[in-house]
Amino acid sequence: MSSRRARSRQSTSSSRITDEQINDLVSKLQAVLPEARIRGAERVSAAKVLQETCNYIRSLHREVDDLSERLSELLATTEASSAQAAIIRSLLK
Amino acid sequence: MRAVARSDGSHAIWTEASEGFVSEGGRLWFGMAISNAEGESAAKEGGGGRKRKRREEPSLAKWRTQGEQRTYSTKLVEALRRVRRSPPSGATATTDHARSRAVREAADRALAVAARGRTRWSRAILSGRTLKRRIRPSCFRPKPVGSSAAARAAAERGKPATLEKKARVLGRLVPGCRKLSLPTLLEEVSDYIAALEMQVRAMSAIADALSAASSAPAAEPM
Repeated sequence: MSSRRARSRQSTSSSRITDEQINDLVSKLQAVLPEARIRGAERVSAAKVLQETCNYIRSLHREVDDLSERLSELLATTEASSAQAAIIRSLLK
Repeated sequence: MRAVARSDGSHAIWTEASEGFVSEGGRLWFGMAISNAEGESAAKEGGGGRKRKRREEPSLAKWRTQGEQRTYSTKLVEALRRVRRSPPSGATATTDHARSRAVREAADRALAVAARGRTRWSRAILSGRTLKRRIRPSCFRPKPVGSSAAARAAAERGKPATLEKKARVLGRLVPGCRKLSLPTLLEEVSDYIAALEMQVRAMSAIADALSAASSAPAAEPM
């Protein structure tokens, strides 16, 4: 651990962390991306993986925003009791 | 946990919302309630959550368990009830946009609480949340036009500068991760993505349940 820290301290632009480490983490990240599940285990460049990750996070954010809009509309229009019952039902399923 | 600061108003909600599944109601402390709920649902799952060591194991699978999602949904529902209670009084300007933003923030806060403070992004969400809102338009340029030649040249230099740049963009997307080294950043990012996916699943389930309820109002004897 300390050697790793020493190594990164020596570097000026914090990029001297071993490439192997980076590639390892990047491939792990790639496994999380939805496209990896479609494409199989293709070796994509690290930059591409980071790009895909950015896009994926942004799309997830957008989805969450859309869902919150939907939820806020629903909250405003539904009655309290039926809402409670429905939520409890869905949670217990 | 810092969530306590937000739950001064929620004490009442815990007690009145003890419909049975948030049993041990009246617990002011989110942390304890979480461990209770998780313990229960984990027991149902056959010890999925309990058996897994609660130490630094970066297991992303925890975001996929049913138990975790149920815990999260519970918290979210409580927060949503709070959101719904304050605005409809109509005094302040309650636009739809403001309400959906409140919902989004409640959802994110609940998500951060579910992370149990082990990741940086969750701690950053719980402790502030001012930075995330300022999304500067410069962030949104995936490929800087006209500098692809420079980027390619940089890539040939061995440690690509573009990689660093992309890592910065990524760091800006995840709350609280702007100045992290690459390996830490990548770890945070994978956890964040798994958590976001769970958030999407939970919120769509709640939204579906609510819309089903509103279209067919059947009073269930509870």
